[in-house]
Amino acid sequence: MDNTKKLLESMTEILNHIKEVQEEVMDLSKESVVTISNYLGENNLPLNDDVIKALQHQDIISQQLSATVVAIEAIDKNIKYYTHALTEDAGILTDGFDKLHKKLVISLEEAKSKKSAFSGNAMGSDSADDSEIEFF
Amino acid sequence: MPIVMFIDDSETALASTKIATASMPIDVKQYLSAVDALEVINSGEVMPDLIITDLNMPVMNGLEFLKEIRGLAKTKKTPVLMLTTETKDELKQQGKALGLTGWIVKPFNPTQLQAAITRVLRLG
Repeated sequence: MDNTKKLLESMTEILNHIKEVQEEVMDLSKESVVTISNYLGENNLPLNDDVIKALQHQDIISQQLSATVVAIEAIDKNIKYYTHALTEDAGILTDGFDKLHKKLVISLEEAKSKKSAFSGNAMGSDSADDSEIEFF
Repeated sequence: MPIVMFIDDSETALASTKIATASMPIDVKQYLSAVDALEVINSGEVMPDLIITDLNMPVMNGLEFLKEIRGLAKTKKTPVLMLTTETKDELKQQGKALGLTGWIVKPFNPTQLQAAITRVLRLG
């Protein structure tokens, strides 16, 4: 039981570290793009379509990372719930582990779904529509 | 000049739309939340000729916002374009049922965005 608990705690620590790094990257990339955008706007520099599209990639990156942060938070919550329950009752080791596994699978599926939803036309998404604008 | 309202919870997305439309004869108003945008519409502070909104936003998403403004007499027929990373037909159909004008997938092509605004506002 102790080994299982230690292993799960290490996993949550690693995941939380990844989450912190991702949040820092999101903040830093946002700051960079806002600075560049302001500079371009204030100086009326000529921009082509590719540059403006490239500027939008930060938004896509942030959305993608946000979705993985949400997944990490869900995993962290479920593992903590399980390890706490394990402390209270060692008898749940196997049954509880099955339930934990199911919850982690759900978190993964939700994260994958968000990846697709937040990709748009970027990153070669399979779901992307070739025509970027559709009128109804 | 026609007023175009952009709503997106991403500061960088708003910066991109501002740069992309800088050369157009429009008055751009930007909001980081649909709730804020709804508030200025309700108060009469801003009466947009066109609204371009993101879909996935906290508190109030683009479809919820659309439903709200379609319930107001003054914005019942205001054209609304959804600018989003989402490409699901199901969501497009929901928007269409609520009177959405069109769907633009991010990252947008600036020339196409300008063309869409020109078409909707009949600027050409």
